[in-house]
Amino acid sequence: MPVSSAPPATTPAAASKRVRSASLGALALGVVSCVLGYLVLAVPGAWFGAAPQLQWTGRELSLTRGAGGFTAGAMALIAPDATRTVVVSLHTTLRAQDYPVVAWNVTAIPDGVEAALLWYNDLQPSRLFSRPLTVEAGRIAPALLRADPHWIGRIDGLALVLRGSFAEPITVHGVAARPMSAAQVLGDRLGEWLAFEPWNGASINTLTGGADAQDLPLPILLAAVVGVAALAFAALARWKPEVLGPAQGSVIAAFFVAAWFILDARWQWNLVRQVEGTYRQYAGKSWQDRHLAAEDGPLFAFIEKVRAKLPAPPVRVFMVADAHYFRDRGAYHLYPYNVYFDPWSNTTPPSSAVHAGDYLVVYQRRGVEYNAAEQSLRWDGSPPVKAELVLLDGPGSLFRIL
Amino acid sequence: MAYLALALGLALPWMLGFALLCACDWPAGSAVTERGAAGGTALRLGYGYIVGLLLLTLWMRVLSFAGISLGRLSIGVPLLALAAALLAWARRRQRIPLQALRAAPRVLLAPPLSGWQRVAWRLLSCWLALRFALLAAEVAWRPLYPWNAWVEWATKARVWYELGRIVPFVNADAWLAGAGAAGAYFDASPNYPATVPLLQVWSCIALGRWDDSAMNWPWPLMLLALSLCVYGALRDAGLPLLGALVGAYLVASLPLLDVHVALAGYADLMMACVYTLSALAFYRWTLDRDRRDAALALLLALACPLIELPGVIWAATLLPGAVIALLPRQGPRLVALGFGVAALVLLFLAQSSPLILGHSLHVDFEPPWRSLAEAYFLFANWHLLWYAVAALSIIGARRLARPPLVALTAVVVSGLAFLGVVFTLTNLAAWMADFTAVNRATLHLAPLLVMLCVLLWRELSQARPAAVAPVALATADA
Repeated sequence: MPVSSAPPATTPAAASKRVRSASLGALALGVVSCVLGYLVLAVPGAWFGAAPQLQWTGRELSLTRGAGGFTAGAMALIAPDATRTVVVSLHTTLRAQDYPVVAWNVTAIPDGVEAALLWYNDLQPSRLFSRPLTVEAGRIAPALLRADPHWIGRIDGLALVLRGSFAEPITVHGVAARPMSAAQVLGDRLGEWLAFEPWNGASINTLTGGADAQDLPLPILLAAVVGVAALAFAALARWKPEVLGPAQGSVIAAFFVAAWFILDARWQWNLVRQVEGTYRQYAGKSWQDRHLAAEDGPLFAFIEKVRAKLPAPPVRVFMVADAHYFRDRGAYHLYPYNVYFDPWSNTTPPSSAVHAGDYLVVYQRRGVEYNAAEQSLRWDGSPPVKAELVLLDGPGSLFRIL
Repeated sequence: MAYLALALGLALPWMLGFALLCACDWPAGSAVTERGAAGGTALRLGYGYIVGLLLLTLWMRVLSFAGISLGRLSIGVPLLALAAALLAWARRRQRIPLQALRAAPRVLLAPPLSGWQRVAWRLLSCWLALRFALLAAEVAWRPLYPWNAWVEWATKARVWYELGRIVPFVNADAWLAGAGAAGAYFDASPNYPATVPLLQVWSCIALGRWDDSAMNWPWPLMLLALSLCVYGALRDAGLPLLGALVGAYLVASLPLLDVHVALAGYADLMMACVYTLSALAFYRWTLDRDRRDAALALLLALACPLIELPGVIWAATLLPGAVIALLPRQGPRLVALGFGVAALVLLFLAQSSPLILGHSLHVDFEPPWRSLAEAYFLFANWHLLWYAVAALSIIGARRLARPPLVALTAVVVSGLAFLGVVFTLTNLAAWMADFTAVNRATLHLAPLLVMLCVLLWRELSQARPAAVAPVALATADA
């Protein structure tokens, strides 16, 4: 059907080419403006020609205060000293001007532990300078020192101070002095986005999308790129509606889907690495062997021994353990026995609720006392009940109530 | 042999649901009309699985109520016979889309597209196939992993599978007071619905043994069914092949949805599927007023509380949409008034901290907005979904408030309002800081949000006025 008597201004192929060029131009503008904008905000020093990064592994550090040792290239901090302090130090000879950022690679810092950076320089060698460090998700965020008036001259020594109590070891993987050039900032971000995020207990609730702590999450960068590109293309389309107007929706949708796909490629890559790990851990095994190979393998093995001692279901079985995970997981492995456990807190059943013929499974639980001579069992100060020890296996035991 | 039996067991609900929809000729004219050929077969296949799962678990409840042991024979044979009978009945009335079914592999492998669109179709298909393969590998190899799966869902599945019947689960007080001695069981959430554990029970029955990895095979199939439904619904709405595939991809690639497949065992994925399918059937009804759409929407909405306790609220979010669909003139005002009254009632109730669905209402003037923003916009849970929602709700506000989208918009706004209440007025707000609740609660609504965004984008694209170059029109005509 003829649409217009006016001669076409150009051929469809040429129009399509213009749309393609304009959309690519708008996209390039979005990428360049967003990346440059971020670098302006994030790069503290020279963008180019910076000094090489200096890096020390955990084994090159000294433990000045507190207790700890070395494990596979890292330092494991086991306990603080009497003043609840740990100090890890090293000697350096770096020019403060060249290295505006110090990044400690430390993991598993519990809540309540405070961190600080100490240093001294050649201008005031008798003075020790300090800067509090931010702890995020159990890690120490890189410290930007460029604006600190004492970060000058030659830095002759660095130290990390941790103050507070901790029960689980803290691992110091190393420390780096960073020049923070534009390339390094971009490299760091890329490293954060592509860091492997394996399944953990929180995965079912949330995904960080790479490293636990990220300076610039990828979704916000891509959203900004799409936003700028869409606005640029819309402006072009408004300027040249006869060429670009009808394609506006499709082009902006294409920007959006492309950005979505980039995020999805990162997610799929993470999934590929996860499946590879899952394959190595579980493939080719029976369901029982998979459980034995899982994180709770020792618990599962113990419960299998318990099941071998129990009569056929349904028997009432009480499960107690100090750790929330062991208590709930142990109960799960015990079904279809008629299991009782406290899913939320570390309590024990009232002794009045325990009857002859019931069983009690104890796994890593303090406060349970058994007198074998009198066949007397009590827990958490409750009145004793008559019981027989049926199984004692490592950290776990099984009692039959008499 | 065991895995063949499992495969047949997994296919049974699919066949049953598909047969039922064929017998009902839903979607209307799928077997014969052009519109049906576009998306009807995908809709039938997708809806068929979810409907089949619900029928399967209802039948298992009936058997258990009647005192008949749950087994391959008692479950499989009657349902297989029913499916066969329905298929035979549908075939006599030419309601089975044989032609479309035969054409489906050809469309998938060699779509009637040209140039870059064909390449994009193939690449996206391969990408999705890889995604499903990876998720399936996780399901196949990983023993039951996420916490609530083994503390409140699979507990029931294990007991019911081993005993061959549904036995009651009671709370701790009742169990300690003697119900335990009388045969009642206890777990972390004894009042949770039976549907999800029954799916796991059926997988184990089909397999012939307990296996807490294999029992979760329905989860990847649910995601596949959801993707088929989204594709079918978008084709049905007039999107081209590639556009509909992109829509299905947007849903299937939502990371948190994928996590709930890979780490299967929670009820949230099924809740999301049933709710989304109910809302999409409702949307079809608002367009065509076909009673079968309404019946399907209603049945799926009624099934929501059988999956999770908040399902009753999710089902209720369809009501504002229904009011608008039935009363196009006064409906929007009535719904706005209803929202206002509901807000006042909630604020009044929140003064006294009543318990609703196990959660206490209370007014929190400092809800953790930061956690919400991180979960939606900064973390990897939803890719760019919430950016799109924010942008499109501004750009397309008028379109959302007009037919044909207004009723579906009302449903989604009701869902968002429900999430808002959950995050600000209940004790779940305390779980937002560590992201325990925020994303899982959002998961139920997310696929529908994607659908609404795609449908809105299509409306906006179609609405482009005629400042159209002669060249462009000439191209279109060609």
